[in-house]
Amino acid sequence: MIKLLGAVLILFAGAMIGFQQAAGYAERPRQLRQLAHALQRLETEIGYGHTPLPEALERTAAAAPEPIASIFGKAATGIWETESFTFRESWEQAVKAQWGATSMRGGEQAVLIRLGSTLGISDKEDQMKHIRLALQQLKAEEDAARDDQARYEKMWKSLGILIAVLIVILMV
Amino acid sequence: MLARVVHLLPAELKTLLERLPEQMQEQLEEIRIREGRPLEVGFRGMSRFMTIDGNLRQTADGAYKPSADTCRKLLERITNYSLYAMEEELRRGFITVSGGHRIGLAGRTILEGGAVRGIRDIGAFNIRVAREVIGASALLLPKLIDRARKTLHSTLILAPPQQGKTTLVRDMARTVSYGLWPGYEASGWPGRKVGIVDERSEIAACVRGIPTFDVGPRTDVMDACPKAEGMMMLLRSMSPEVLVADEIGRPEDGEAIREASHAGVSVVATAHAYDLQDARGRPVLRKLLDDGAFTHVVELKRTEQGVMHRVVSAETQGRPAPRDLPPSQRAGEGPVHVSIGRQRADDP
Repeated sequence: MIKLLGAVLILFAGAMIGFQQAAGYAERPRQLRQLAHALQRLETEIGYGHTPLPEALERTAAAAPEPIASIFGKAATGIWETESFTFRESWEQAVKAQWGATSMRGGEQAVLIRLGSTLGISDKEDQMKHIRLALQQLKAEEDAARDDQARYEKMWKSLGILIAVLIVILMV
Repeated sequence: MLARVVHLLPAELKTLLERLPEQMQEQLEEIRIREGRPLEVGFRGMSRFMTIDGNLRQTADGAYKPSADTCRKLLERITNYSLYAMEEELRRGFITVSGGHRIGLAGRTILEGGAVRGIRDIGAFNIRVAREVIGASALLLPKLIDRARKTLHSTLILAPPQQGKTTLVRDMARTVSYGLWPGYEASGWPGRKVGIVDERSEIAACVRGIPTFDVGPRTDVMDACPKAEGMMMLLRSMSPEVLVADEIGRPEDGEAIREASHAGVSVVATAHAYDLQDARGRPVLRKLLDDGAFTHVVELKRTEQGVMHRVVSAETQGRPAPRDLPPSQRAGEGPVHVSIGRQRADDP
Protein backbone atom coordinates (compact mmCIF):
# COMPACT_ATOMS: atom_id res chain seq x y z
CA MET A 1 0.00 0.00 0.00
CA ILE A 2 2.78 2.38 1.04
CA LYS A 3 4.81 1.30 -1.99
CA LEU A 4 1.92 2.16 -4.25
CA LEU A 5 1.53 5.56 -2.62
CA GLY A 6 5.28 6.21 -3.06
CA ALA A 7 5.14 5.22 -6.71
CA VAL A 8 2.22 7.58 -7.30
CA LEU A 9 4.10 10.39 -5.56
CA ILE A 10 7.19 9.81 -7.68
CA LEU A 11 5.15 9.71 -10.86
CA PHE A 12 3.40 12.91 -9.85
CA ALA A 13 6.67 14.68 -8.97
CA GLY A 14 8.33 13.58 -12.19
CA ALA A 15 5.41 14.78 -14.27
CA MET A 16 5.41 18.12 -12.46
CA ILE A 17 9.15 18.65 -12.97
CA GLY A 18 8.72 17.88 -16.64
CA PHE A 19 5.77 20.23 -17.01
CA GLN A 20 7.55 22.99 -15.20
CA GLN A 21 10.59 22.74 -17.47
CA ALA A 22 8.31 22.68 -20.48
CA ALA A 23 6.42 25.70 -19.18
CA GLY A 24 9.74 27.56 -18.90
CA TYR A 25 10.38 26.91 -22.59
CA ALA A 26 6.90 28.06 -23.51
CA GLU A 27 7.08 31.14 -21.25
CA ARG A 28 10.41 32.55 -22.42
CA PRO A 29 9.41 33.53 -25.98
CA ARG A 30 6.18 34.99 -24.66
CA GLN A 31 7.96 37.15 -22.12
CA LEU A 32 10.51 38.18 -24.74
CA ARG A 33 7.64 39.28 -26.94
CA GLN A 34 6.09 41.24 -24.06
CA LEU A 35 9.44 42.83 -23.29
CA ALA A 36 9.78 43.87 -26.92
CA HIS A 37 6.32 45.41 -26.83
CA ALA A 38 7.20 47.29 -23.67
CA LEU A 39 10.39 48.64 -25.25
CA GLN A 40 8.45 49.70 -28.32
CA ARG A 41 6.11 51.60 -26.07
CA LEU A 42 9.10 53.21 -24.35
CA GLU A 43 10.48 54.16 -27.74
CA THR A 44 7.24 55.89 -28.64
CA GLU A 45 7.13 57.74 -25.34
CA ILE A 46 10.70 58.95 -25.77
CA GLY A 47 10.75 59.56 -29.50
CA TYR A 48 7.35 61.07 -30.12
CA GLY A 49 5.97 61.99 -26.72
CA HIS A 50 9.17 63.54 -25.30
CA THR A 51 7.96 62.13 -22.00
CA PRO A 52 10.51 62.42 -19.19
CA LEU A 53 12.12 59.06 -18.51
CA PRO A 54 10.64 58.29 -15.06
CA GLU A 55 7.16 59.00 -16.35
CA ALA A 56 7.80 57.08 -19.57
CA LEU A 57 8.93 54.08 -17.52
CA GLU A 58 5.86 54.25 -15.31
CA ARG A 59 3.52 54.41 -18.28
CA THR A 60 5.32 51.49 -19.88
CA ALA A 61 4.99 49.56 -16.65
CA ALA A 62 1.28 50.32 -16.47
CA ALA A 63 0.74 48.92 -19.97
CA ALA A 64 2.90 45.81 -19.64
CA PRO A 65 1.98 42.51 -17.97
CA GLU A 66 3.89 41.11 -15.01
CA PRO A 67 6.72 40.28 -14.50
CA ILE A 68 7.92 42.70 -17.22
CA ALA A 69 6.01 45.58 -15.65
CA SER A 70 7.85 45.44 -12.35
CA ILE A 71 11.26 45.80 -14.05
CA PHE A 72 10.19 49.15 -15.48
CA GLY A 73 8.27 50.17 -12.39
CA LYS A 74 11.19 49.43 -10.09
CA ALA A 75 13.66 51.28 -12.29
CA ALA A 76 11.43 54.36 -12.16
CA THR A 77 10.96 54.32 -8.39
CA GLY A 78 14.63 53.45 -7.79
CA ILE A 79 15.83 56.85 -8.94
CA TRP A 80 13.62 58.67 -6.44
CA GLU A 81 14.34 56.38 -3.54
CA THR A 82 18.11 56.41 -3.62
CA GLU A 83 19.50 59.85 -4.21
CA SER A 84 23.03 58.76 -4.88
CA PHE A 85 22.14 56.49 -7.80
CA THR A 86 22.67 57.28 -11.42
CA PHE A 87 19.92 56.00 -13.67
CA ARG A 88 22.17 53.22 -14.92
CA GLU A 89 22.64 51.86 -11.40
CA SER A 90 18.97 52.03 -10.62
CA TRP A 91 18.07 50.27 -13.85
CA GLU A 92 20.68 47.57 -13.37
CA GLN A 93 19.46 46.90 -9.85
CA ALA A 94 15.85 46.68 -11.00
CA VAL A 95 16.69 44.29 -13.83
CA LYS A 96 18.73 42.01 -11.58
CA ALA A 97 16.22 42.02 -8.74
CA GLN A 98 13.29 41.14 -10.99
CA TRP A 99 15.12 38.64 -13.17
CA GLY A 100 14.40 35.68 -10.91
CA ALA A 101 10.69 36.14 -11.48
CA THR A 102 11.02 35.82 -15.25
CA SER A 103 11.81 32.86 -17.50
CA MET A 104 14.37 34.86 -19.42
CA ARG A 105 18.07 34.10 -19.60
CA GLY A 106 21.43 35.84 -19.43
CA GLY A 107 21.45 36.99 -23.07
CA GLU A 108 18.35 39.12 -22.65
CA GLN A 109 19.61 40.47 -19.36
CA ALA A 110 22.83 41.65 -20.97
CA VAL A 111 20.83 43.40 -23.69
CA LEU A 112 18.68 45.21 -21.12
CA ILE A 113 21.60 46.26 -18.95
CA ARG A 114 23.45 47.61 -21.97
CA LEU A 115 20.35 49.59 -22.89
CA GLY A 116 20.13 50.99 -19.37
CA SER A 117 23.55 52.57 -19.60
CA THR A 118 22.40 54.73 -22.52
CA LEU A 119 18.82 55.61 -21.58
CA GLY A 120 18.17 59.25 -20.82
CA ILE A 121 21.61 60.69 -21.50
CA SER A 122 21.58 61.47 -25.19
CA ASP A 123 19.39 63.13 -27.76
CA LYS A 124 16.21 61.69 -29.21
CA GLU A 125 17.66 60.08 -32.33
CA ASP A 126 20.36 58.42 -30.31
CA GLN A 127 17.87 57.10 -27.78
CA MET A 128 15.70 55.63 -30.49
CA LYS A 129 18.69 53.98 -32.13
CA HIS A 130 19.69 52.33 -28.91
CA ILE A 131 16.19 51.08 -28.22
CA ARG A 132 15.88 49.72 -31.76
CA LEU A 133 19.20 47.94 -31.41
CA ALA A 134 17.99 46.35 -28.19
CA LEU A 135 14.75 45.34 -29.93
CA GLN A 136 16.68 43.65 -32.72
CA GLN A 137 18.78 41.74 -30.25
CA LEU A 138 15.68 40.69 -28.36
CA LYS A 139 14.13 39.52 -31.63
CA ALA A 140 17.14 37.27 -32.24
CA GLU A 141 16.81 35.89 -28.73
CA GLU A 142 13.12 35.34 -29.27
CA ASP A 143 13.73 33.37 -32.47
CA ALA A 144 16.21 31.20 -30.65
CA ALA A 145 13.76 30.78 -27.80
CA ARG A 146 11.04 29.63 -30.22
CA ASP A 147 13.40 27.05 -31.71
CA ASP A 148 14.15 25.81 -28.22
CA GLN A 149 10.45 25.70 -27.43
CA ALA A 150 9.67 23.59 -30.52
CA ARG A 151 12.51 21.26 -29.71
CA TYR A 152 12.34 20.84 -25.96
CA GLU A 153 8.84 21.65 -24.73
CA LYS A 154 7.23 18.33 -25.77
CA MET A 155 10.37 16.44 -24.88
CA TRP A 156 10.37 17.72 -21.28
CA LYS A 157 6.71 16.98 -20.87
CA SER A 158 7.19 13.31 -21.73
CA LEU A 159 10.71 13.07 -20.29
CA GLY A 160 9.55 13.99 -16.78
CA ILE A 161 6.93 11.29 -16.60
CA LEU A 162 9.15 8.71 -18.35
CA ILE A 163 11.99 9.24 -15.89
CA ALA A 164 9.52 8.92 -13.03
CA VAL A 165 8.27 5.64 -14.54
CA LEU A 166 11.87 4.44 -14.83
CA ILE A 167 12.56 5.24 -11.17
CA VAL A 168 9.39 3.44 -10.12
CA ILE A 169 10.32 0.37 -12.18
CA LEU A 170 13.84 0.31 -10.76
CA MET A 171 12.51 0.59 -7.21
CA VAL A 172 9.90 -2.15 -7.52
CA MET B 1 18.69 80.26 -1.20
CA LEU B 2 20.65 77.02 -1.16
CA ALA B 3 17.59 75.26 0.20
CA ARG B 4 15.73 76.06 -3.01
CA VAL B 5 18.16 74.32 -5.32
CA VAL B 6 19.51 71.60 -3.09
CA HIS B 7 17.12 69.00 -4.51
CA LEU B 8 18.89 69.33 -7.85
CA LEU B 9 22.30 68.43 -6.50
CA PRO B 10 23.77 64.94 -6.18
CA ALA B 11 24.35 63.79 -2.61
CA GLU B 12 28.08 64.60 -2.46
CA LEU B 13 27.62 68.19 -3.63
CA LYS B 14 24.67 68.62 -1.34
CA THR B 15 26.61 67.63 1.79
CA LEU B 16 29.50 69.86 0.75
CA LEU B 17 27.38 72.94 0.16
CA GLU B 18 25.40 72.41 3.33
CA ARG B 19 28.66 72.94 5.22
CA LEU B 20 28.55 76.59 4.24
CA PRO B 21 27.54 78.95 7.04
CA GLU B 22 23.82 79.59 7.07
CA GLN B 23 24.18 83.24 6.18
CA MET B 24 26.18 82.35 3.08
CA GLN B 25 23.62 79.76 2.08
CA GLU B 26 21.03 82.53 2.20
CA GLN B 27 23.07 84.81 -0.03
CA LEU B 28 24.04 82.19 -2.54
CA GLU B 29 23.53 83.35 -6.11
CA GLU B 30 25.52 80.99 -8.26
CA ILE B 31 27.02 77.55 -8.05
CA ARG B 32 29.51 76.86 -10.80
CA ILE B 33 30.34 73.23 -11.32
CA ARG B 34 33.03 72.28 -13.78
CA GLU B 35 34.05 68.68 -14.26
CA GLY B 36 37.51 68.03 -12.79
CA ARG B 37 38.01 71.68 -11.92
CA PRO B 38 37.51 73.64 -8.71
CA LEU B 39 33.98 74.21 -7.44
CA GLU B 40 33.05 77.87 -7.37
CA VAL B 41 30.22 79.61 -5.55
CA GLY B 42 28.97 83.14 -6.07
CA PHE B 43 27.24 85.33 -3.51
CA ARG B 44 26.65 89.07 -3.24
CA GLY B 45 28.49 89.63 -6.50
CA MET B 46 31.65 87.89 -5.29
CA SER B 47 32.90 84.44 -6.10
CA ARG B 48 35.02 82.00 -4.13
CA PHE B 49 36.36 78.50 -4.57
CA MET B 50 35.27 75.87 -2.13
CA THR B 51 37.45 73.30 -0.37
CA ILE B 52 36.35 69.81 0.59
CA ASP B 53 35.65 70.87 4.20
CA GLY B 54 33.43 73.75 3.17
CA ASN B 55 35.89 76.64 3.49
CA LEU B 56 35.90 79.42 0.95
CA ARG B 57 39.12 80.49 -0.69
CA GLN B 58 40.05 83.19 -3.11
CA THR B 59 42.53 80.93 -4.88
CA ALA B 60 41.86 77.55 -6.41
CA ASP B 61 44.48 75.57 -4.43
CA GLY B 62 43.06 72.68 -2.50
CA ALA B 63 39.56 73.27 -3.83
CA TYR B 64 37.04 70.49 -4.22
CA LYS B 65 36.88 69.15 -7.78
CA PRO B 66 33.66 67.47 -8.88
CA SER B 67 34.22 64.12 -10.58
CA ALA B 68 32.79 62.94 -13.90
CA ASP B 69 30.35 60.75 -11.99
CA THR B 70 29.09 63.70 -9.94
CA CYS B 71 28.57 65.73 -13.08
CA ARG B 72 26.67 62.91 -14.73
CA LYS B 73 24.38 62.63 -11.73
CA LEU B 74 23.86 66.37 -11.73
CA LEU B 75 23.00 66.34 -15.41
CA GLU B 76 20.56 63.48 -14.91
CA ARG B 77 18.87 65.27 -12.05
CA ILE B 78 18.48 68.64 -13.74
CA THR B 79 17.18 67.04 -16.93
CA ASN B 80 14.88 64.68 -15.01
CA TYR B 81 16.86 61.75 -16.46
CA SER B 82 15.67 62.79 -19.91
CA LEU B 83 18.20 64.69 -21.94
CA TYR B 84 16.23 63.81 -25.06
CA ALA B 85 13.30 65.91 -23.88
CA MET B 86 15.52 68.98 -23.51
CA GLU B 87 16.60 69.51 -27.11
CA GLU B 88 15.26 73.05 -27.30
CA GLU B 89 16.91 73.92 -24.00
CA LEU B 90 20.22 72.43 -25.07
CA ARG B 91 20.17 74.46 -28.24
CA ARG B 92 19.71 77.59 -26.15
CA GLY B 93 22.40 76.50 -23.73
CA PHE B 94 20.47 76.49 -20.49
CA ILE B 95 17.76 74.64 -18.65
CA THR B 96 15.09 76.28 -16.52
CA VAL B 97 13.87 74.13 -13.68
CA SER B 98 10.84 74.44 -11.45
CA GLY B 99 11.27 77.45 -9.19
CA GLY B 100 12.76 79.53 -11.99
CA HIS B 101 16.35 78.55 -11.39
CA ARG B 102 18.40 78.62 -14.50
CA ILE B 103 21.24 76.24 -15.18
CA GLY B 104 23.67 77.33 -17.84
CA LEU B 105 25.53 74.58 -19.66
CA ALA B 106 28.79 74.47 -21.55
CA GLY B 107 30.45 71.67 -23.43
CA ARG B 108 30.98 70.38 -26.93
CA THR B 109 28.31 71.52 -29.32
CA ILE B 110 26.71 69.50 -32.09
CA LEU B 111 26.29 71.39 -35.32
CA GLU B 112 23.74 70.81 -38.00
CA GLY B 113 23.97 72.82 -41.17
CA GLY B 114 26.16 75.36 -39.41
CA ALA B 115 23.68 75.99 -36.61
CA VAL B 116 24.05 74.68 -33.07
CA ARG B 117 21.70 71.78 -32.54
CA GLY B 118 22.63 70.95 -29.01
CA ILE B 119 25.40 70.34 -26.54
CA ARG B 120 27.04 66.98 -26.12
CA ASP B 121 29.64 66.15 -23.45
CA ILE B 122 28.48 68.77 -20.99
CA GLY B 123 31.40 69.70 -18.78
CA ALA B 124 30.33 72.86 -16.99
CA PHE B 125 27.19 73.93 -15.16
CA ASN B 126 26.23 77.28 -13.73
CA ILE B 127 23.29 77.08 -11.37
CA ARG B 128 21.77 80.53 -10.96
CA VAL B 129 19.47 80.70 -8.00
CA ALA B 130 16.35 82.62 -8.88
CA ARG B 131 14.86 84.88 -6.29
CA GLU B 132 11.39 86.22 -6.35
CA VAL B 133 11.57 89.59 -4.61
CA ILE B 134 8.01 90.68 -4.00
CA GLY B 135 7.97 94.45 -3.81
CA ALA B 136 11.19 94.88 -5.81
CA SER B 137 9.52 97.53 -7.93
CA ALA B 138 7.78 99.37 -5.09
CA LEU B 139 10.12 102.36 -5.18
CA LEU B 140 10.28 102.55 -8.92
CA LEU B 141 6.66 102.05 -9.86
CA PRO B 142 5.28 105.44 -8.66
CA LYS B 143 7.60 107.14 -11.13
CA LEU B 144 6.30 105.13 -14.05
CA ILE B 145 2.57 105.60 -13.64
CA ASP B 146 0.67 107.08 -16.55
CA ARG B 147 -2.05 109.04 -14.75
CA ALA B 148 -3.98 109.92 -17.87
CA ARG B 149 -4.42 106.32 -18.99
CA LYS B 150 -4.36 104.75 -15.53
CA THR B 151 -1.64 102.35 -16.55
CA LEU B 152 2.12 102.16 -16.85
CA HIS B 153 4.28 104.23 -19.15
CA SER B 154 6.19 102.38 -21.81
CA THR B 155 9.48 101.80 -20.08
CA LEU B 156 12.90 100.54 -21.08
CA ILE B 157 15.01 99.16 -18.25
CA LEU B 158 18.75 99.18 -18.80
CA ALA B 159 21.40 97.37 -16.80
CA PRO B 160 24.40 95.11 -17.23
CA PRO B 161 23.78 91.39 -16.52
CA GLN B 162 23.07 90.26 -12.95
CA GLN B 163 21.64 93.56 -11.71
CA GLY B 164 18.10 92.42 -11.06
CA LYS B 165 16.33 93.47 -14.26
CA THR B 166 14.29 90.31 -14.49
CA THR B 167 13.36 90.41 -10.81
CA LEU B 168 12.19 93.96 -11.31
CA VAL B 169 10.02 93.39 -14.39
CA ARG B 170 8.52 90.29 -12.80
CA ASP B 171 7.44 92.32 -9.80
CA MET B 172 6.13 95.09 -12.04
CA ALA B 173 4.05 92.59 -14.00
CA ARG B 174 2.74 91.10 -10.77
CA THR B 175 1.85 94.47 -9.21
CA VAL B 176 0.12 95.77 -12.33
CA SER B 177 -1.73 92.52 -12.82
CA TYR B 178 -3.05 92.54 -9.24
CA GLY B 179 -3.81 96.25 -9.50
CA LEU B 180 -1.73 97.07 -6.43
CA TRP B 181 -1.02 100.56 -7.68
CA PRO B 182 1.12 102.62 -5.34
CA GLY B 183 0.06 105.96 -3.99
CA TYR B 184 -3.19 107.59 -2.96
CA GLU B 185 -4.57 108.72 -6.30
CA ALA B 186 -3.93 105.41 -7.99
CA SER B 187 -5.37 103.27 -5.24
CA GLY B 188 -8.71 102.49 -6.94
CA TRP B 189 -7.36 101.64 -10.36
CA PRO B 190 -8.13 98.21 -11.69
CA GLY B 191 -5.47 95.63 -12.43
CA ARG B 192 -4.35 95.50 -16.00
CA LYS B 193 -4.16 92.62 -18.44
CA VAL B 194 -0.50 91.77 -18.70
CA GLY B 195 1.17 89.76 -21.44
CA ILE B 196 4.65 88.40 -20.82
CA VAL B 197 6.83 87.10 -23.60
CA ASP B 198 9.26 84.93 -21.72
CA GLU B 199 11.74 83.78 -24.32
CA ARG B 200 14.22 82.45 -21.78
CA SER B 201 11.68 81.24 -19.22
CA GLU B 202 13.15 83.61 -16.66
CA ILE B 203 10.36 86.02 -15.85
CA ALA B 204 7.62 83.55 -15.05
CA ALA B 205 9.72 80.36 -15.00
CA CYS B 206 7.00 78.27 -16.58
CA VAL B 207 7.07 74.54 -16.17
CA ARG B 208 4.82 72.95 -18.78
CA GLY B 209 3.23 76.28 -19.57
CA ILE B 210 2.27 77.18 -16.00
CA PRO B 211 4.18 80.00 -14.27
CA THR B 212 5.98 78.92 -11.10
CA PHE B 213 6.46 82.53 -10.00
CA ASP B 214 3.51 84.60 -8.96
CA VAL B 215 3.06 86.92 -11.93
CA GLY B 216 -0.46 87.99 -11.06
CA PRO B 217 -4.00 86.86 -11.80
CA ARG B 218 -4.43 88.80 -15.05
CA THR B 219 -1.18 87.75 -16.64
CA ASP B 220 -0.71 85.57 -19.71
CA VAL B 221 2.68 84.11 -20.43
CA MET B 222 4.00 83.06 -23.81
CA ASP B 223 6.78 80.77 -22.69
CA ALA B 224 9.99 79.99 -24.60
CA CYS B 225 8.72 82.01 -27.53
CA PRO B 226 10.86 84.30 -29.69
CA LYS B 227 10.14 87.81 -28.40
CA ALA B 228 9.05 89.49 -31.61
CA GLU B 229 6.74 86.68 -32.63
CA GLY B 230 5.45 86.27 -29.08
CA MET B 231 4.60 89.94 -28.77
CA MET B 232 2.66 89.86 -32.04
CA MET B 233 0.87 86.68 -31.01
CA LEU B 234 -0.14 88.15 -27.66
CA LEU B 235 -1.26 91.41 -29.29
CA ARG B 236 -3.46 89.51 -31.69
CA SER B 237 -4.84 86.90 -29.36
CA MET B 238 -4.76 88.01 -25.73
CA SER B 239 -5.39 91.79 -25.95
CA PRO B 240 -2.84 92.77 -23.32
CA GLU B 241 -2.77 96.28 -21.84
CA VAL B 242 0.81 95.95 -20.65
CA LEU B 243 3.34 93.89 -22.55
CA VAL B 244 6.50 92.68 -20.82
CA ALA B 245 9.58 91.38 -22.60
CA ASP B 246 13.07 90.61 -21.41
CA GLU B 247 16.34 91.47 -23.12
CA ILE B 248 15.27 93.01 -26.39
CA GLY B 249 17.88 93.83 -28.99
CA ARG B 250 17.10 92.28 -32.34
CA PRO B 251 15.65 94.30 -35.22
CA GLU B 252 12.42 92.28 -35.24
CA ASP B 253 11.94 93.04 -31.53
CA GLY B 254 11.96 96.71 -32.41
CA GLU B 255 9.26 96.17 -35.04
CA ALA B 256 7.04 94.34 -32.58
CA ILE B 257 7.46 97.00 -29.90
CA ARG B 258 6.59 99.75 -32.37
CA GLU B 259 3.52 97.76 -33.36
CA ALA B 260 2.52 97.41 -29.71
CA SER B 261 2.94 101.09 -28.93
CA HIS B 262 0.81 102.03 -31.94
CA ALA B 263 -1.86 99.74 -30.57
CA GLY B 264 -1.83 101.74 -27.34
CA VAL B 265 -0.22 98.95 -25.33
CA SER B 266 2.36 99.92 -22.73
CA VAL B 267 5.57 98.01 -23.24
CA VAL B 268 7.95 97.25 -20.41
CA ALA B 269 11.19 95.85 -21.76
CA THR B 270 14.70 95.29 -20.50
CA ALA B 271 17.97 95.46 -22.40
CA HIS B 272 21.61 94.84 -21.64
CA ALA B 273 23.34 98.20 -21.49
CA TYR B 274 25.40 100.07 -18.95
CA ASP B 275 23.42 103.29 -19.26
CA LEU B 276 21.36 105.32 -21.70
CA GLN B 277 24.37 106.49 -23.65
CA ASP B 278 25.52 102.91 -24.03
CA ALA B 279 22.04 101.89 -25.14
CA ARG B 280 22.02 104.58 -27.79
CA GLY B 281 25.08 102.91 -29.25
CA ARG B 282 22.91 99.95 -30.23
CA PRO B 283 21.02 100.67 -33.45
CA VAL B 284 17.79 98.91 -32.52
CA LEU B 285 17.52 100.59 -29.12
CA ARG B 286 18.48 103.98 -30.52
CA LYS B 287 15.80 103.77 -33.14
CA LEU B 288 13.17 102.79 -30.58
CA LEU B 289 14.22 105.66 -28.29
CA ASP B 290 14.23 108.13 -31.17
CA ASP B 291 10.79 106.98 -32.26
CA GLY B 292 9.48 107.62 -28.77
CA ALA B 293 8.40 104.02 -28.29
CA PHE B 294 9.57 104.31 -24.69
CA THR B 295 8.60 107.35 -22.70
CA HIS B 296 10.70 106.36 -19.71
CA VAL B 297 14.12 104.82 -19.37
CA VAL B 298 15.36 103.28 -16.13
CA GLU B 299 19.01 102.59 -15.40
CA LEU B 300 19.79 100.04 -12.72
CA LYS B 301 23.02 99.80 -10.81
CA ARG B 302 23.77 97.36 -8.09
CA THR B 303 25.93 98.64 -5.28
CA GLU B 304 26.93 97.31 -1.89
CA GLN B 305 23.84 98.88 -0.37
CA GLY B 306 21.42 97.42 -2.89
CA VAL B 307 19.95 98.28 -6.24
CA MET B 308 20.00 101.93 -7.32
CA HIS B 309 17.73 103.12 -10.04
CA ARG B 310 17.61 106.30 -12.04
CA VAL B 311 14.58 107.25 -14.11
CA VAL B 312 14.95 109.35 -17.21
CA SER B 313 11.62 110.57 -18.43
CA ALA B 314 10.89 111.77 -21.91
CA GLU B 315 7.45 112.99 -21.10
CA THR B 316 6.69 116.66 -20.91
CA GLN B 317 3.60 118.00 -19.18
CA GLY B 318 0.83 115.96 -20.73
CA ARG B 319 2.42 116.20 -24.14
CA PRO B 320 3.89 113.05 -25.65
CA ALA B 321 7.58 113.00 -26.28
CA PRO B 322 8.87 114.63 -29.43
CA ARG B 323 10.82 112.35 -31.70
CA ASP B 324 14.25 113.56 -30.74
CA LEU B 325 13.92 113.88 -27.02
CA PRO B 326 14.94 111.58 -24.25
CA PRO B 327 18.69 111.26 -23.71
CA SER B 328 20.04 112.27 -20.36
CA GLN B 329 22.79 114.37 -21.84
CA ARG B 330 20.15 116.86 -22.93
CA ALA B 331 18.87 117.22 -19.42
CA GLY B 332 19.53 120.95 -19.56
CA GLU B 333 17.48 121.55 -22.69
CA GLY B 334 14.08 120.19 -21.90
CA PRO B 335 11.84 119.31 -19.02
CA VAL B 336 13.51 116.00 -18.32
CA HIS B 337 12.85 114.62 -14.94
CA VAL B 338 15.56 112.62 -13.31
CA SER B 339 15.20 110.95 -9.99
CA ILE B 340 17.36 108.59 -8.09
CA GLY B 341 15.96 105.85 -5.95
CA ARG B 342 17.62 103.24 -3.89
CA GLN B 343 16.47 99.95 -2.53
CA ARG B 344 17.97 96.84 -1.14
CA ALA B 345 17.99 93.79 -3.33
CA ASP B 346 16.88 91.53 -0.53
CA ASP B 347 14.01 93.61 0.82
CA PRO B 348 10.98 91.46 1.56
